[in-house]
Amino acid sequence: MGKVQILLRQHVGAPCAPCVEVGADVKKGTLIATPTGLGANIYASVYGTVTEITEDRIIIEAADEQPDEFVPIDVPEDASKLDMVKAAGVVGMGGAGFPTGVKLNINLAETPMGELNPEINPELPENFSIDCGYILINAAECEPGLEHNTQQIETQPDKVIRGIKYCMEITHAEKTIIAIKKKHHKAIKTLQKALENEPAITMHLLPDIYPMGEERAVVRECLGVNLDTMQLPSAARSVVVNVETACRVAEAIDEKRPCISKNLTVRGKLNGGNAAHVYMDVPIGVSVGELIERAGGIDGKYGEIIMGGAFTGKSTELDAPITKTTGAILVTIEFPDLHGANVGILVCACGGSEERMREIAEKMNGKVVSVCRCKQAIENKPGAPLKCLRPGNCPGQVKNNLQFKKDKCEYIIIGNCSDCSNTVMASGPKMGLKVFHQTDHVMRTVGHPLYRTLRVSKQVSQDIDF
Amino acid sequence: MSITAETAKEHAHDPAVLCCRAEAGITIEPANLEDPAIFDDLVDSGLLCLDGCLTIEEVLGAKLTKTCDSLCPLTKDVLDGVNAPTTEAPAEEAEEVEEAPAAAPVAAAPLKIHIGEGKDINLEIPVGALGATGTAVAEVPAAAVATAAEEQEPKLIRSLTRKHFNITEVKRGPETKIEGTTLYIREGIEKECIDSQELVYDLKIDIITPEDYHTYSETIMDVQPIATKDGEDEIGSGITRVLDGVVMMVTGTDANGVQIGEFGSSEGYLDENIMWGRPGAPDKGEIFIKTQVTVKEGTNMERPGPLAAHTASDMITQEIREALKKVDESFVVNEEVFDQYRRPGKKKVVIVKEIMGQGAMHDNLILPVEPVGVLGARPNVDLGNVPVCVSPLEVLDGCIHALTCIGPASKEMSRHYWREPLVLEALHDEEIDLCGVIFVGSPQINAEKFYVSKRVGQVCEMLDVDGAFITTEGFGNNHIDFASHHEQIGKRGIPVVGLSFCAVQGALVVGNKYMTYMVDNNKSESGIENEVLACNTLCKEEAIRAIQMLKNAMGGEPVKAAEKKWNPNVKASNVEVIEGVTGEKIDLVKNEQSLPMSQKRKEKYD
Repeated sequence: MGKVQILLRQHVGAPCAPCVEVGADVKKGTLIATPTGLGANIYASVYGTVTEITEDRIIIEAADEQPDEFVPIDVPEDASKLDMVKAAGVVGMGGAGFPTGVKLNINLAETPMGELNPEINPELPENFSIDCGYILINAAECEPGLEHNTQQIETQPDKVIRGIKYCMEITHAEKTIIAIKKKHHKAIKTLQKALENEPAITMHLLPDIYPMGEERAVVRECLGVNLDTMQLPSAARSVVVNVETACRVAEAIDEKRPCISKNLTVRGKLNGGNAAHVYMDVPIGVSVGELIERAGGIDGKYGEIIMGGAFTGKSTELDAPITKTTGAILVTIEFPDLHGANVGILVCACGGSEERMREIAEKMNGKVVSVCRCKQAIENKPGAPLKCLRPGNCPGQVKNNLQFKKDKCEYIIIGNCSDCSNTVMASGPKMGLKVFHQTDHVMRTVGHPLYRTLRVSKQVSQDIDF
Repeated sequence: MSITAETAKEHAHDPAVLCCRAEAGITIEPANLEDPAIFDDLVDSGLLCLDGCLTIEEVLGAKLTKTCDSLCPLTKDVLDGVNAPTTEAPAEEAEEVEEAPAAAPVAAAPLKIHIGEGKDINLEIPVGALGATGTAVAEVPAAAVATAAEEQEPKLIRSLTRKHFNITEVKRGPETKIEGTTLYIREGIEKECIDSQELVYDLKIDIITPEDYHTYSETIMDVQPIATKDGEDEIGSGITRVLDGVVMMVTGTDANGVQIGEFGSSEGYLDENIMWGRPGAPDKGEIFIKTQVTVKEGTNMERPGPLAAHTASDMITQEIREALKKVDESFVVNEEVFDQYRRPGKKKVVIVKEIMGQGAMHDNLILPVEPVGVLGARPNVDLGNVPVCVSPLEVLDGCIHALTCIGPASKEMSRHYWREPLVLEALHDEEIDLCGVIFVGSPQINAEKFYVSKRVGQVCEMLDVDGAFITTEGFGNNHIDFASHHEQIGKRGIPVVGLSFCAVQGALVVGNKYMTYMVDNNKSESGIENEVLACNTLCKEEAIRAIQMLKNAMGGEPVKAAEKKWNPNVKASNVEVIEGVTGEKIDLVKNEQSLPMSQKRKEKYD
């Protein structure tokens, strides 16, 4: 295992402050850094010795022996369940990394309905209200090619349901809806069985389009409410929790287990093929390279390595460590070469940032001559990540295409969702724009259809008819 | 792009096209529809065919029966529950309007650009792509508005008398004096002018007679009437004495030979660079007393430089004014009386004139003691560019000494105000009650632009006007304020008619939904700033169109949407319609094509 690097910032908020010294011996579960503001405790994920502490990380030389035992979280006898979640350092493991102890610190029974924007909720009656508090379990696993969430449902449904019940208890939510894509037949059947005697917990089946796992998309799909970009799910009397996060909550309470490991998918241009390698409970801080080796190693030349999904992930290096929010490591095929052709990039909230899109254009050897932004991509604060006003529902793109034409683009690279990509395709090629999607190299690598024309419905029947 | 409920309402009669894929069973909402503003481009490029397409009002609330893709025109066969169409406009209006392919840039296609605070705002708008944002500006025809109010007596507020003295010869002599029709300018006055201003390094006087028109000149910074008040009379009332046949002309460079100009300059042969007879320009046949001022190097683009050039030149004018005061009454060749009436019961209108106030030569001296003088005036930059209210007669009596000298074709010289056509037309129009003129400066900084613009809105609110004109000079930067003035006045429910040079080069960079009634001051052949002095400034023909348009606007008549690209025929047909209704011939002024072709124009423009 060698060197393990544990980043001091693995969550939304401020970096944690180290509370160990160089030379200290640590065990799995030794508290090594604590929050300085919004944040969550960070624990050693391995047995070993702290060899270096830098501004942004603690480096531990892992011992040869790595027993399964861990140091339980240090909480008083009478600690509340919420305190245990907080102490364990659980954060949103779907990728957002918001401290779960903060998120669950809400009484949904007494949370009033937020004020809804009528412009984006034309079908709701004026005084629409949601009957009670809801936990919405995000099991969409929306980034194409990832499988660890679905696999956890299939293999650990009991833990998932325990986690759900704890979340409901902590937040006084009366009901839970598990949002899962309908294509996951086995996981749905597994849940169906596990939920036989759980009237308060139901499933909502999602179509297989991107994005469905965006927080506000989950709220819309499950509860029929469109939140604006500044609103939190609490405005719809709900809290959205990722499947894995729910399981970490269960572990923190049942086992007093600190948050020291991550489930993830390693996939791509690897020796042995492009199938997904799902790894459960990988110690946080292990390097990308080590996981790739574990999955067979890179097969020849490659384009880039992505940490995270094809849409929202970022390019990474072999020695980068995984964190509490790492969902995937993807190794892609090589990029096509555009030989310096003029390229336009269409930035939206669903895909990469402008910086990421420019990186991809550069890797494709294109010259960026035009940048447009999807009309619905809202920057809540200057510099803040873009948020989509109506995730998965296109606002029209032809105007951007006209701009690209005007700016003399030969190619465009888009990062849009399924619906917007479809709209771009309705006029782009006819105007003579050659369309690439930001995820093309990943989709080709894993054998997933490219994001272009939408051929499936945005509606699926809720019947378990398979 | 998808549209809002508000946009859908504005475009109720425009074609309904899906902006994105929509699945069978959905109810059509504005968010499903593409913005009609871009349809022309799509149709042109063959991406869209609107045959059989229903209108937006017909499809809203209808149920889609078939999954359709982006850019699909909505037709009866894919919808259930289509609404019945309403008529677009009352039939009798349509008749007249039909003739005029008239338009306003943002009427049908509101280009909404919100500019908060900030600097360095660069807006690049594909003019065609947005459907005529600001290219063509035009108008609705004349349909005289019948005022329902009962007839009330007009009230004479004050009068201004201009006494004209004719000059046929300008000479140099030992003293400045007027003998008969000969004006003598004191020899050696140049040195005093130079000495009076630290920044003025040199000043030359040339007497340009019609035979000398083919003379090279540095950029023309100003053209000024030579006039003086009689006795204790103040600007805007009483008696003003004015010389006919001669004008002051200020020209200059800095000590490095750089023209005192920014967006082009009018240096060159006078006869190739002056659009004769424009309100702000010399008339053919007039003698020019032309100063050529050299200011300290580098000060051509700072406030003190141009101001020093004007102040030094005004020393000469002031001596002539003193001489003019002494001329015997018997030499008066013509007397003009301007009466300012208020007309109770008529529609009350105000003229808002946006003047430059960014600094350097973008400045105006307001309300000097003498017509177009310097003494006693306050630069509008120093006044903070806030609105200053004046009477129409003050405008016509030289209350503005303009430092403007750049973007020569579209800027208003001092003489322009002296003969301001919109003020004159509105003053004499008995169907409207012109309550006054508001000058507002155009500051450099956007935050300040909005600051002064809000004051304009507030003044108009207090005035309780029924309608307003907004004029501006130049193009580009000042259009930000121009747009904001429209918004500030328009949002108070007051119809606004805007006058500006736009055409091709001056296409509006910003817009809002109140910029519906627009008149283009362009006269140039190609719709450009051709650097020919005063070519594209407001003339009588614009004033007539603007007044007719405001009457229509106050009468609640709609204006046709702008065409996609600037089309000079819009103006031509509107003029024709107005002539048809009023029975009066409108003589259109000539443009630069009537002048000898200059080398510069040949190379740069035509």
